[in-house]
Amino acid sequence: MAPTSQQVLDVLATIQDPDLGRDVVSLGMIKELDVSPQGKVSFTFELTTPACPVRDRFKTQAHDLVGEIPGVSEVQVRMTANVRQAFMRPKPSEVLPGVKQTIAVASGKGGVGKSTVAVNLAAALMKAGADVGLLDADILGPSVPTMTGSRTVPEQVNGQLQPILAHGLKVMSFGHIYPGGQPTVYRGPMVGKAIEALMTQVDWGRLDYLVIDLPPGTGDASLTLAQAIPITGVAIVCTPQDVATDIAIKALQMFRKLNVTPLGLIENMSWYICPSCGHRHEIFSHGGAEAAAQRLGVPFLGAVPLEESIREDADAGTPVVISRPESAGARAFVEIASQVAARTSIQSFRQLPVISVR
Amino acid sequence: MVIAWEDGHRSSYSGESLRWACPCAECRGEAGSPGRLARVQSLEADELRVQNVALVGQYALQIAFESGHSTGLYTFGLLRSMCDCPECRARKSAT
Repeated sequence: MAPTSQQVLDVLATIQDPDLGRDVVSLGMIKELDVSPQGKVSFTFELTTPACPVRDRFKTQAHDLVGEIPGVSEVQVRMTANVRQAFMRPKPSEVLPGVKQTIAVASGKGGVGKSTVAVNLAAALMKAGADVGLLDADILGPSVPTMTGSRTVPEQVNGQLQPILAHGLKVMSFGHIYPGGQPTVYRGPMVGKAIEALMTQVDWGRLDYLVIDLPPGTGDASLTLAQAIPITGVAIVCTPQDVATDIAIKALQMFRKLNVTPLGLIENMSWYICPSCGHRHEIFSHGGAEAAAQRLGVPFLGAVPLEESIREDADAGTPVVISRPESAGARAFVEIASQVAARTSIQSFRQLPVISVR
Repeated sequence: MVIAWEDGHRSSYSGESLRWACPCAECRGEAGSPGRLARVQSLEADELRVQNVALVGQYALQIAFESGHSTGLYTFGLLRSMCDCPECRARKSAT
């Protein structure tokens, strides 16, 4: 005899989402459940992100658990993903109406590879199946146009700038608007205005994730951004040595003050494999970010090696996760992206204070 | 104004209590010189009525009063500490 739908849901409810800390049935992840009289069970397993780190485990678990129910002849699990709106907001943000989640990438210190991480994080989320935009909030030193090989000038439609399409990502940078070798010489308030313009005057459309590459420092750019939009979370990039982790900690504390959740720390330039001798060198030390994350009580999202190919591909305009997906660097970025996506999903179940005026 | 917090707690505020708590530099004073709120004894009625409330990122509220004063950014931390419900009052007097 075929089982009831309730029997199927009961066994599926024993699967816990490790990040959200609840079972997958009460989280609403099981949809379109159908049990045929012959005992054929089919359902859709809707994840909160296509880059889910436990996707395969969920699928096997669901398949096996349901298959063990007496009377089940066949199990069909359809895996899909639907990124949820951050903070369970009743109405979308006025500034970025079509964007579900905004993820900032910051560092405090310059030169640690923020842009490289941001570009590859965006590309990895896109490869997993999400709609992703990349906003370069570094007005004075934009690197996104070079790193994504996009040097076209954006078109204007109905008074809105159209983002540039690069490798499947929607990209916008001040370097697109003012290309060429001329520097942008702006004081702080102008930098803030420029960042606001990149959010409000660009037609971002519908996006699952908008990755924002912040400039170094704890000043105008970060503050403007944190005041203009509810950022889902911020990933902090640093290199392992003390001089970088010390400043990364400051950046993280600034975001905490602004009530922006730190998604975690990423260690870049973590190790180097010498191509001639095969030796592993730890040029900038190793494990500094992980230790700092532990001290601050935030997740450690992963470590990226120092690789010539990451730099070469960034200069050539193709993120390494696209050009050399098998390289150690690309694999590290993909792993980090799924960690970031999982931490971001947790935020979508939070609710910001609701204000009403009478 | 009423705030329903992430943890389920509810706080309500009068326009008057919010106006006197304005954290902006003009009201609080800066660089050792006292601000407007330290210099005046009373405020006009239109200064005490809330006209508009805007969310600043996710850490503060910008409250505009009918008088046009709107430079104060009230952080959620400040607003929560101002909560005057019996429960919060009891906790404050205990510490």
